[in-house]
Amino acid sequence: MRGLGPLLAPLLLRPLRRDRLRFALTVSGIAVGVATVAAIRLANSSVLSSFSRTVDLVAGKASLTVLADGPGIPEGTLERLAWVRSQGVSLVPALSVTAALGTPDGEVVELLGVDPLSDGSARDYRFASGPRALADAFAVFEPGAVLVSETFAARHGLSRGSPLPLLAGGARRSLHVAGILRAEGVARAASGSLLVADLATVQEVAGRAGWLDRIDLVLPDGAPGAFRDRLAEEVRASLPPTLTVGRPERRNETVDRMVRSFRVNLTALGLIALLVGTYFVYNTVSISVLRRRADIGTVRGLGASARAVFAVFLLEGAALGTLGSLLGVALGTLLARGALAAVGGTATDFYLAAPPPAFRADAGVLLFSFVAGVVASTLSALAPAAEAARVAPAATMRHGSVEAARRRTTRPLALLGLVLLALAAAATRPGPVAGLPVFGFASVFLVVAGASLLAPLAVTAVARRADRPALALLGVEARIARANLTGSLSRTSVAVAALAMGVAMMVAVAVMVGSFRGTVEQWVSQTLKADLFAAPESGRAGRSLGRIPQDALDLLERIPGVAEVDAFLSFEATRDGIPYTVGCGRLEAIARRGNLPMADGRDPRAVAAEALARGEALVSEPFATRFGLGRGDVVRLPAPGGEVPVTIAGVYTDYSNDRGTVTVDRALFRRLFGLDGASSAAIYLSPGVDPEEGRRRVLAALHGRFAIAVRTNATLRAAALALFDRTFAITYALDAIAVAVAVLGVFNTLVALVLERQREIGLLRVLGASAARVERAVRLEAAAIAALGTVLGLAQGGAMAWVLVHVINVQSFGWTIRMEVPGRFLAFSLALVLAATLLSALHPARLAAGTDPAAVLKEE
Amino acid sequence: MGAAVSVREARKTYPGGVEALAGVSFDLSPGTFAALLGPSGCGKSTLLHLLGALEKPTSGSVAVDGHDLAALSEAARDDYRLRRAATVFQLYNLLPTMTALENVALPLLLDGLPRPEAEARAEKGLAEVGLSARKDAFPYELSGGQMQRVAVARALAPRPALLLADEPTGSLDSRSGAQVLDLVGELVAARGVTVVLATHDAAAAGRASRVLRLLDGRLVDG
Ligand SMILES: Nc1ncnc2c1ncn2[C@@H]1O[C@H](COP(=O)(O)OP(=O)(O)O)[C@@H](O)[C@H]1O
Ligand SMILES: [Mg+2]
Repeated sequence: MRGLGPLLAPLLLRPLRRDRLRFALTVSGIAVGVATVAAIRLANSSVLSSFSRTVDLVAGKASLTVLADGPGIPEGTLERLAWVRSQGVSLVPALSVTAALGTPDGEVVELLGVDPLSDGSARDYRFASGPRALADAFAVFEPGAVLVSETFAARHGLSRGSPLPLLAGGARRSLHVAGILRAEGVARAASGSLLVADLATVQEVAGRAGWLDRIDLVLPDGAPGAFRDRLAEEVRASLPPTLTVGRPERRNETVDRMVRSFRVNLTALGLIALLVGTYFVYNTVSISVLRRRADIGTVRGLGASARAVFAVFLLEGAALGTLGSLLGVALGTLLARGALAAVGGTATDFYLAAPPPAFRADAGVLLFSFVAGVVASTLSALAPAAEAARVAPAATMRHGSVEAARRRTTRPLALLGLVLLALAAAATRPGPVAGLPVFGFASVFLVVAGASLLAPLAVTAVARRADRPALALLGVEARIARANLTGSLSRTSVAVAALAMGVAMMVAVAVMVGSFRGTVEQWVSQTLKADLFAAPESGRAGRSLGRIPQDALDLLERIPGVAEVDAFLSFEATRDGIPYTVGCGRLEAIARRGNLPMADGRDPRAVAAEALARGEALVSEPFATRFGLGRGDVVRLPAPGGEVPVTIAGVYTDYSNDRGTVTVDRALFRRLFGLDGASSAAIYLSPGVDPEEGRRRVLAALHGRFAIAVRTNATLRAAALALFDRTFAITYALDAIAVAVAVLGVFNTLVALVLERQREIGLLRVLGASAARVERAVRLEAAAIAALGTVLGLAQGGAMAWVLVHVINVQSFGWTIRMEVPGRFLAFSLALVLAATLLSALHPARLAAGTDPAAVLKEE
Repeated sequence: MGAAVSVREARKTYPGGVEALAGVSFDLSPGTFAALLGPSGCGKSTLLHLLGALEKPTSGSVAVDGHDLAALSEAARDDYRLRRAATVFQLYNLLPTMTALENVALPLLLDGLPRPEAEARAEKGLAEVGLSARKDAFPYELSGGQMQRVAVARALAPRPALLLADEPTGSLDSRSGAQVLDLVGELVAARGVTVVLATHDAAAAGRASRVLRLLDGRLVDG
């Protein structure tokens, strides 16, 4: 723009050098917001891309893959599909399981079982050492032979013949390295933590003899797309409906759905952090405009255009945003790396037991975070830049009249705010869009916007009513503070709104997490009744891998002091690509104990007894919400032979799995799916047996044969709550950031106000007000901003909490939680916010007290 | 009762070497209406700042009722401005965020008067300057002359002994300027307040009982 160049030095660059601290603060405010968004999305996209790469690499040259909606593909399916070979199509079976190394570090690995004769046609194997071909590798060695990638071998110091201990299926296995693969083709899957073994070996290790989990179809070279489509049709026709055929990549969609809610919720939190960060930019540019008012007047007098002045300050916002966003993207990358290194990030911890994903700097995510930061910063500089453009050439403004014009807008603004709040209420009604609480988020945003628009009216109304009592109670300083509050409404109300937003976020998240924790704690104590809990040992995996073998369960029941073993067994199923869980327990035990609280409050004993008698199912609340099914409806369970309709007898509460679970009696489950063993088992001890003693006996009985972790009731509860707290730690961190930024915002506003009111402070001193009284007036003003912000924030936060608990939570995760206000925590946090805000007023108050009246009064 | 002013060899040199006052001496007996006449930049405002205890002389002394202002403690000088010496400037005398009534009541509240009493006295003060009807107006809603009248009411509300007026009509048209000056003359005469009125306008100085001519920081022909 013409005329912009000469303005940069006096209005932008020189001030920048003088005010380094303030600019550094602003840049870091933006950086933190951008870093949060970037880190969350980077960690997520790394998890997903790592998974989809694995899917691609394992699929190799296959164009079609048969997958199971149910627990797996019976091996006999290969026979049923044998006819495709006549068309030149290869059938390549595989079974993969997640296991942990039996080494102290317990690294999680993926074990892929293949048919050595056919697998080469689907997947690429290049040997670094050992056999030349896949068929040789397993022919030469006895069962237990595995191939590892050279990166994996180097990391663990393995060579051909090295023993490789593995924890899988509730036992310790001793495998050995039969060959080392170059880091190419399938060996790069699972970030290199993929072990390849003979199919029979993997079936044995996982306790899944006779089962496959995929059959890849490799078409002849150059087969046209039409051939593939026709083949898919024919294969589908020859398979039961619980086996699906299609492109191999469709697994990605399922995994994406598993982590989507989690990702979207965290991203929304991150965006709020960014929003608060942009408030910094608004403030900093406002102060810049204020401090440079005289300079602006001068350059305008020298002929600079209003547009050029506008551009300079917009540029200031953009520059701060660019710096902050660059820093934020770098910081976010580091954070994401750190998060992935620590147990693979919460998403994997929770949703995918898989080898730790490799970090991937997704350019799209980096660009999105960067652009979001720059755009938000530039937009927030719009208002102060426009203010700068309005400064008249070489003239002083009558501050009072500008503010008075703004005071007249408080009522219309408040009215608009009320409309937005009404819309926010309306937005809580519609259901989710594509499984996401889109309207819920809109509602939260509308609450924030609506409450912010109410802030000016809140300030003036309270100031008017509080004037006389405050004057009587606190003295004339209170009146000065009141006059300043309403006199600089455009600044004070923004500070109040920003503080309210920070407080609201804190309140909302605290209430949501507190409610969730309280609900889960109660649920845990209602459902976890057994003395001991057993699950397969699974190294560093966040959740248990594989199954406790049936032998081990039988053994458990015979241990002296064990009264009863209630085994829970489940598998991951899909329906139209949407994942859910099918599980079983002993309904007879639930009918006796009632330790499965029903969502509708009915007596679990009666419901379980009824379900047992009629061969019906119980479904978890998330399942019911997600699939829109309830008591009396029919679910179709994906048995290997075809779908089996089962009536739903009731809906139980469950906070352990947001995909949703269908639970049937163990006997029915075994009949339908032909599975035995247990994912986990609850062990009840005979009366009088001490849990620790019982645990010792169980471990002693299992020792040497099985690798099963046994925890006491107390330890498991503690672990469940610890996992909960770890999962929500990040939300508290974001919270703290929001509040800190808001308090800094109050500090910034007060500094700006003191600078703006130099002359008025001088007048007060001439009228005989001491420096101490001037100081006290600023502190009272800060106290009023703090009090107003806190009260408004409490109300706003209460509304946001309600939406989070009753709308967003339900629509994201499908479970209902009881709203619970963590009073002590809130009181403590609010006290902290108030104290921090008052502390932040100390410096501006001293600045006001130090104003030299003689100097400011001569500037005429 | 007005204040007795005694200025002896007062000098004020600003950092950078500008000598705003180069040794000024004069005495004012209580109740004197003195005009400080001189062109812009001659040191009028500086002298008023010394009299208002906003600044200290580089050398020499400024005494009011026998007390050397420079020797007063910080608190005593705040108190001096609150109770003894009131100032009216050329522009922006009023706190823009307070109404006329609140502006006038402010020094009384600062002095610890209860609100009802302070407001009653402020209303009376506004009535004296003929602005009872505008007591709830904000400064930006008042004309220049009205603003200055409010400023006069506020200055006189605490019943000061000394009124320092720094070109109070400098930015008013001649008619409303004359009006304000008439008002000041009337009110101070009734109360016996000592006045120092700085102005570059010989006509304005006409109402004074004594004229001090200031040129380049010195008094000329006493
Ligand atoms: N704070 C100050 N620092 C430096 N110079 C000053 C200061 N105040 C006044 N001066 C200078 O002192 C001289 C007298 O100023 P002032 O008392 O304001 O004059 P008047 O009020 O008669 O116009 C002028 O030259 C002015 O520039
Ligand atoms: Mg002057």
